[in-house]
Amino acid sequence: MKTTFKEEDNYFVMYFEGRLDTAASAQVEEEMKPLYECNGHDIILDCANLEYISSSGLRLFLGLLKAAKPKGSHVYIRSINEDLRQVFAMTGFINLFEFK
Amino acid sequence: MLTDNQPNVRYQRQITLPNDVQEVPQLNVFVDEVCEQADFDMSTTLKLNLAIEEAVVNVMNYAYPAGEKGDVDIEAMINDECLVFVISDSGTPFDPTAKAEVDTTLSAEERGIGGLGIHLIRQIMDTINYERVEGKNVLTLRKKLTKNS
Repeated sequence: MKTTFKEEDNYFVMYFEGRLDTAASAQVEEEMKPLYECNGHDIILDCANLEYISSSGLRLFLGLLKAAKPKGSHVYIRSINEDLRQVFAMTGFINLFEFK
Repeated sequence: MLTDNQPNVRYQRQITLPNDVQEVPQLNVFVDEVCEQADFDMSTTLKLNLAIEEAVVNVMNYAYPAGEKGDVDIEAMINDECLVFVISDSGTPFDPTAKAEVDTTLSAEERGIGGLGIHLIRQIMDTINYERVEGKNVLTLRKKLTKNS
């Protein structure tokens, strides 16, 4: 599992690559910390190369959303594949996030 | 431990993992191999990986007291009708199926962080059954085989 953080056109963007399973979640939680400093920036979670996500990964996304919303920041999920979109649908997370 | 009296078991495999979530990638390899034997497509295989990971991680995190080592056994079996996973441990009695259903219609502010794992298992598997047998938690998860497999 690999993540890359970039600032692009005033967006905070994090690229996710590989399998976000329970084993990877502690490390990814640490790597997502810069996103919490999002004051005035919207966030994009780029999932084009995300192959898998389990509930521990979904919790990280929800935790970020809960922190970003009160700061007025939007959290967008970008380029997620159909299988993972179904996982978001099963959990109702599809209604919580904005998709690009 | 597999007490299924269904005939025509054509495949059976077992793996034992310690209660350490860093072992999850090994579980994924196991589930991928089993799903291949069951002729499930990649999409179904991904979902089964998710359901089994959630069930096994639940045991790894909660069955044994913090800091205490313990094992979780995962048995897989394919018969004429379905793929069966039996997940068992010798930890504290715990019935994950007794957990209340999460409300997926709540807003982000209202959504709690827990309960997602069992919710996903319920969504993905066809049947879930918990039993306490001879001092063990035994969780049996079934997925019907797809017609063309």
